[in-house]
Amino acid sequence: MYAPKTAFLTLLALSAMGPLLAPAPALGAASEWSANEQSRVRLITPYGVAPRKGELRLGLHFTLEKDWHVYWKNSGDAGFPPVLGLGDSLGGALKEAEILWPAPHRFELPGDLVAFGYSDEVVYPVEARIQATGDSLRIVAELDYLICKVDCVPYRYTLALEQPLGDPAVADPETAPLLDTWRARVPRPAEEIAGLQTGGVIHQGGQGQDGPLLEVRVIGAEGKDGETGIFFEPHEAFDLGKPQMRLTPGGVIFRVPVRPKQVDKELPARTPLAWTVTGLTHDGKGLNVAARREVERRAEPAPLLQERNPAGTAATAPSAKRGLPRMLLLALLGGLLLNAMPTVLALLVGEALALRADAGGRAAVREKAAAVATGVLGSCWGVAAIALTAHRSGLPAGWGSQLQEPAFAALLAVATLALTLNLWGLLEIPLGPAPSGETPTPVSGTGRHLLAGLFVAPLALAWPLPNLQAPVGFALASGGLEVCAIFAALGLGLALPYLLFVAAPGLAFALPQPGRWARMLREGLGFLAGASALWLLYALSHQVRPEGLAWVELTLLAMALFAWLRHRSRARSVLKFGLAVVLAAFAVAALWLADENRLSPRPARDVTSATQIPVNTGG
Amino acid sequence: MRNRFIPTTSLLLAAALAAAPAFAAGEVGATAPNFELKGVDGKSYSLAGLKGKTVVLEWVNPNCPFSDRHAREKTMAELSKQHGEVVWLGINSTSASHANYLKPEEHKAWATKNGVNYPIVYDETGQTAKAYNAKTTPHMFIVDASGKIAYNGAIDDDPPGRKAKAERTNYVKAGLTAEKAGKDPSPASTQPYGCSIKF
Repeated sequence: MYAPKTAFLTLLALSAMGPLLAPAPALGAASEWSANEQSRVRLITPYGVAPRKGELRLGLHFTLEKDWHVYWKNSGDAGFPPVLGLGDSLGGALKEAEILWPAPHRFELPGDLVAFGYSDEVVYPVEARIQATGDSLRIVAELDYLICKVDCVPYRYTLALEQPLGDPAVADPETAPLLDTWRARVPRPAEEIAGLQTGGVIHQGGQGQDGPLLEVRVIGAEGKDGETGIFFEPHEAFDLGKPQMRLTPGGVIFRVPVRPKQVDKELPARTPLAWTVTGLTHDGKGLNVAARREVERRAEPAPLLQERNPAGTAATAPSAKRGLPRMLLLALLGGLLLNAMPTVLALLVGEALALRADAGGRAAVREKAAAVATGVLGSCWGVAAIALTAHRSGLPAGWGSQLQEPAFAALLAVATLALTLNLWGLLEIPLGPAPSGETPTPVSGTGRHLLAGLFVAPLALAWPLPNLQAPVGFALASGGLEVCAIFAALGLGLALPYLLFVAAPGLAFALPQPGRWARMLREGLGFLAGASALWLLYALSHQVRPEGLAWVELTLLAMALFAWLRHRSRARSVLKFGLAVVLAAFAVAALWLADENRLSPRPARDVTSATQIPVNTGG
Repeated sequence: MRNRFIPTTSLLLAAALAAAPAFAAGEVGATAPNFELKGVDGKSYSLAGLKGKTVVLEWVNPNCPFSDRHAREKTMAELSKQHGEVVWLGINSTSASHANYLKPEEHKAWATKNGVNYPIVYDETGQTAKAYNAKTTPHMFIVDASGKIAYNGAIDDDPPGRKAKAERTNYVKAGLTAEKAGKDPSPASTQPYGCSIKF
């Protein structure tokens, strides 16, 4: 495969042999123009007097006739980028020459073909190292380039200039500002820009998705419709189609169809990919940014983006805000529906019985129900914070995708098992009435109710309700405020039954007095919670190797065993504490085993910088 | 809802199957789309008629400097002589309304002048180019004896043509050598260069 970076980032510098091979050089900071019908080109330096040592800047200055273009490092569907020939004469006076590529433009060609490059005028900056003596340096560059409109014409020129050398270096008043202007258009590495993150993930496919889709996010810079664009370097395993862009308050999201080059080969699970994003604004200034990241392939389809624009133009922030009320309503209803999920329902019933058993009267019921509701809302915001953090640091985030992270699914299984054991009376957790005895022990203090409320959202996470995917995805793709609002609505829905007790505390007393039936109900609910634990293990079976799943299941069984031993033990509290520690150790082991046996690779990390957090998808 | 993965997996499979034809254009490993096209010599050529043989398809446009250079340099003509077992076919997908379009006599004259020793067919509608996702001239495909695309990409690794011919990596030559040895071409896919096809 043609590899532009290694093949053409070269420069010829000749001195003694130069006069034999090259035309008479121009004196000073620019060669003579080499002109043709479509364009003219010259070699420039920014110096009246150039330094003898260190970095030497050069440029290839093109002016083009109307509608003709020359190419970026990835030329697109046709063409090829300029190639500079290198000679290592001059005793190596010029070394390590490299073309820098200013932010390109996209040219649509007949037949749905596309080219990336420059029209009208461009200076390709070139960087080299110089180690020379004497008062001047003859620089000769052999250039091949292709210029196209619809037709294409290749040209080859030898460009030469005689560059005066000295100390100190002196800038040329004409070419130095010209080169500076174009150097400023060369994309900056994303790692150098404080507060900016970018990353990508390939979604293999799924509902409503025609094929693999690459999603690239840029967070911490603003995009602008019609100005912001993304350009990729070629990849050996796939081609990339026309990007669609969506602006969000936090940044820009691009979605790009991925077309594998080989049908009988799977897309790589992880692969480096380089892109350039142009036309951004960061801290009030224009910005072009370049990044090379390891991109992960994920099985799940791309998350729903609110108001995807088929024309490829951005949906603006105001239109995103118009969707907010509907999403809030969906979140509220989704939250309410989550109360019917087995584990959440078990907790709700337990809490209702605890409120009923409370001897403190209506005021106490109101206070304690309010404590649960507060806990629910608090835990929802906690989940929101985790989701937002995960989303911005490359982990799967979105309602449902939490189960795709093996350790997290295992954590939910452990928590659900703990609830099951609690409902069966084998493990005391300060939630709901205690199981021993015919009459449940009254729960004292609002603190316990607050704690119970805090457990609700984590338990609800085990249930990937499809109708919550849209509002949560919308929120994560929009920004922090939307995340807070959506999760508040979700929490409100989850807390509605408790708020009902706040509004009408008498309802608690309408419930039958807890008795033997309450214990049976609790134990029955334990089976619901147990079934939930099985569901989570089923979900986990898609994320870990079979033997890994077996180990996780054995660990959970050990947890149950130690909970039972602890429950049966009439020994001193030291032993009970020891058994509890063993139980906790098994819980941690379950998480570790799940992560250790994961089928999918761990979330992508930056290829070039360990400190940069890749921003992947979710939402 | 509880069994979220079964419907998801089914949908993924369904989507993959549904998407397969749409995304199978020209990819390595895909069945080469059949065509029946008229040659500049007036004869009709179809891929189906060449079943069981290795076929090299070369998108050409004599008015494209890259196609013209490779014809002058006999990049493919010489290779075709070395591979008598392989069928060579040039395809010109230039639209009849484009200035680059050549009438049969002009095409024949160009082929004779440059020693192009294999048939060239017209694809004025561009449908065959689209079916293969051919983009440039030249753009090369190797179709193996089983009718699958074995190579898709550039003619060689030297877009500006500044290397000596012997120093270039001729991807088609490498692919055919691999095919002859019963191996898959490596690389099986490269980025083609040249003029865009004049649709």
